[in-house]
Amino acid sequence: MNAPDAQSAQPATTGHDRRQPGWRAWALLAPMVAWLVLFVVVPTVILLVYSFCERDEVGGVIFSFTLDNYTRVFDPVYLRIFVRSVGYAGLTTIICVIIGYPMAYYIARAPEARRNQLLLLVMVPFWTSFLIRTYAWITILKQEGLLNGLLQALQLTSSPLSLMYTPTAVVIGLVYAYLPFMILPIYSSAEKLDHSLVEAAYDLGAGPLRAFASVIIPLTMPGIAAGTLLVFVPAIGMFAITDLMGGAKVPMIGNVIQNQFMQARDWPFGAALGVVFMSMFAVTYLLLQRRGARIHE
Amino acid sequence: MSPDRPAMIEVRGVTKRFGDFTAVDDVSLSVRAGEFLTLLGPSGCGKTTLLRLLAGFEFPDTGSILLDGADVTCQPPYRRNVNQVFQSYALFPHLTVRENVRFGLRMQKVPAAEAEARIRDALGMVSLGEVAARRPDQLSGGQRQRVALARAIVCRPKVLLLDEPLSALDAKLRHTMQLELKHLQRRLGITFVFVTHDQEEALTMSDRIAVINRGRIEQLGTATEIYHRPRTPFAADFIGQANLLSGAVVARHGLTARVRLDGGLELTVSALELPVDATKALVSIRPEKIHISRSRPQTENVFEARIEEEIFQGATDQLRLVTDQGTRLQALVANESAMNEAFHEGDRIFCGLHFDDLVIVHAE
Amino acid sequence: MNLLKTALVALSALIGSAGLLAKGELNLFGWSEYIPQEVLDGFTAETGIKVNFETYASNEELLSKLVAGGSAYDLVQPSDYTAEVMIRRKMLAPLDLAKLTNLGNIDPALMKLPHDPAGKYTVPYMTGTVGIVINTEKVKTPVRGYKDFFAPQHKDRLVVLNDNRELVTWALYSLGHSANDISKETLAKARPVVAEWVKLVKVFDSDSPKTALLNGDVDLGIVWSGEAAILWNEDRKFQYVLPAEGAHQFIDVLAIPAGAKNQAEAHALINYILRPEVSKLISAKFPYTNPNLAARKLLSPDELANPASYPKEGKLETFRDIGRLAADIDQLVTDLKSAQ
Repeated sequence: MNAPDAQSAQPATTGHDRRQPGWRAWALLAPMVAWLVLFVVVPTVILLVYSFCERDEVGGVIFSFTLDNYTRVFDPVYLRIFVRSVGYAGLTTIICVIIGYPMAYYIARAPEARRNQLLLLVMVPFWTSFLIRTYAWITILKQEGLLNGLLQALQLTSSPLSLMYTPTAVVIGLVYAYLPFMILPIYSSAEKLDHSLVEAAYDLGAGPLRAFASVIIPLTMPGIAAGTLLVFVPAIGMFAITDLMGGAKVPMIGNVIQNQFMQARDWPFGAALGVVFMSMFAVTYLLLQRRGARIHE
Repeated sequence: MSPDRPAMIEVRGVTKRFGDFTAVDDVSLSVRAGEFLTLLGPSGCGKTTLLRLLAGFEFPDTGSILLDGADVTCQPPYRRNVNQVFQSYALFPHLTVRENVRFGLRMQKVPAAEAEARIRDALGMVSLGEVAARRPDQLSGGQRQRVALARAIVCRPKVLLLDEPLSALDAKLRHTMQLELKHLQRRLGITFVFVTHDQEEALTMSDRIAVINRGRIEQLGTATEIYHRPRTPFAADFIGQANLLSGAVVARHGLTARVRLDGGLELTVSALELPVDATKALVSIRPEKIHISRSRPQTENVFEARIEEEIFQGATDQLRLVTDQGTRLQALVANESAMNEAFHEGDRIFCGLHFDDLVIVHAE
Repeated sequence: MNLLKTALVALSALIGSAGLLAKGELNLFGWSEYIPQEVLDGFTAETGIKVNFETYASNEELLSKLVAGGSAYDLVQPSDYTAEVMIRRKMLAPLDLAKLTNLGNIDPALMKLPHDPAGKYTVPYMTGTVGIVINTEKVKTPVRGYKDFFAPQHKDRLVVLNDNRELVTWALYSLGHSANDISKETLAKARPVVAEWVKLVKVFDSDSPKTALLNGDVDLGIVWSGEAAILWNEDRKFQYVLPAEGAHQFIDVLAIPAGAKNQAEAHALINYILRPEVSKLISAKFPYTNPNLAARKLLSPDELANPASYPKEGKLETFRDIGRLAADIDQLVTDLKSAQ
């Protein structure tokens, strides 16, 4: 009983695994490495190089070395926009967790056949273009739209509500767009959750709420963390929804970056914004990763 | 076990169905305080469902369940002073051993100082003090099993439910744990309801055994009662080995009766369990109760047979016999000494049977 | 003998088709939603020249693709101020005006403007203005210019182009400056005006500003005249007004990039588009202002009556390239928008 089988439970990591990868392994990896270099490494390096350059009068890039772009990034204007973007993305993430968690948990607990149907329903929206789905929301929320029509037909409101082009509309759009990215990872960790653990919690005197807080939540935390990452990060950079549903009234960091490459024709500054943005994600990711690893140990 | 001790668990006419399938069929059962009761039966017989009904994970369709005199039929598991040791142990993987054991106390809001003392006691009782800071995945199977036990008993439940807790352990460890569990139960005085499909485990540990088949209790009694006086063919067959022989009742003489087996062999049996108007009977004979000898024995029943096959089993020899009437029987003889009279295939021998060892398990 | 004959026929057919292929191809890079497919199909049917059509959504996209892609395109469609930059940077090839026999159809007032003073590089395709569109069912007070438009009672009833330079230009107009009078000083003066204005706007949208008006989410807009013309066609309640203080006129032109391989084919397409009956098709689909006077004669009275396509006389100006000041404008508007 002195835990000899605890050791033997670990996979044996000797022999094969430590072998040097041969040319065949490299040949198999080559397409992926090439893909990564071409579409990740090269663009990132270009972005990094541009961020230290200057723009010329037409909007071309003059190769030089300046830190001006980075000084500008930390101008209060952009910091305020950044904070606001983080706020919107944070709110979106929280709402996605609140709506997505029960859905994901319910799907994971459903009988297998039903589970696949429900998962399919979660993914069906992806079959349509993102823009078309966003326009569908405009049709629902607009002044003479479906929701206002319904509310008035039911005599719940006397005059149409202004829903479109408000922060609420932006958050609705963001939650709608990113909800599946919250549901799927939570689902996959909830599905792996051994239900006897929940029963054990009940058995030991935990009511539904306390069992949820002290057993279900901690054990599905990897799913919540992955979902948070998948929702929060792209939601910060999203600009199409703020333009289409928010009326582009309040710029988000994504709009600002897009503007630098389009209207303002200031690629170096756009690149600097991008680099700062990316670094912040990397740091957030590493922090989450480290926390996740600690939970797992 | 004095019969006047109050019932800790009272199950009254409980039925539980899943769709068309009746898992528990009109079961009534009374478990005394401090008793070690085993629910024994093959897989799918309803024993686990019965346990889950006691735990509160399932609710009966009809009938009621009383715990220490209080009706808990519709109470959720977290309102019942009952704890369970799960088959898979169900240890919380994100908590250390100590935190796992503390879980129930935390839910019951036991003051910290008292909780610490109880956790120390519980871990000590299962000799796990040294691994308290580890997580479940760093433990061996036996250690996990003990953590599950400690986590349940630290709550001082009125009843401890155990769902095949030893089935994942290897044979040797299982034997050790059987005895440890039995001793622990004696020491704590907690009522144990233990589910198993392993008859040997049931015989070793239990005060009483409920033999369950198809959602019903076939027989409830002590290990000895069930072994020596099985009440149904299933009970006779499931526990130990049995020769089940059918025949016709041809005569009755007070406490005994004569039964003619289908082959024509006539035997004197105990008539205690035989209804007055019965004409047919199913007789159970334990293989080791057939006395084999070369000379005619002094028992109520004596007949001759030929040894068709002999199987050496270490402590015992298993013999397959055919009587002159063509009835086939299995018998067990102890291998008392290597020198002693050995039986061989083809030998003709005498079989002796005491009438009390012929048990009627079915009559009509 | 027969076999040889068949082979010869096949061979000559091959040579013939190859020759057709060699002279008949053209790579066109134009705005999305601006050139009707039937025009290109008609051109191909008539000349046998195959048109490879790619589109872009902004002048900036055109510029960056041209810089990156070299001479992959034979015909492009920049706006006036972008053409100006391209001419200055020698990115355009001079046109062979002798080949453009239909050039006389173009309104002389739209030729030789500041972006192409000699008229050597560009031919106007369509022109338009940026003006005010009013839902006259909802707005009863007269709206003549930017000051009326950005009135406090119109708060949350406005859609304007999501274009920082446009916004600043309107402010400059309202202060009595011209559209191209952009400097650090004038921007400083425009700042408080823009600051007040952005608080009133409900929607900023350059791609489809008509949507918010059609959906009833707003009642007034400052939009491209083509969008306003479509609104007017949809419902006559949408009226178009050129702001009294002055309005931006844009001229989208056809031009040939320097080093284009199929310049002859490009000239052929320009000349084809200059035909009145072809130009008329473009107007029918995209009701901007047609610079082709001969084509205008073929338009229906309804088309000519569209106040957005053919507005009454107004004070119009084209944009000039402003170089680095574009970044200052961007920061100014971004700052004011996010300050809300």
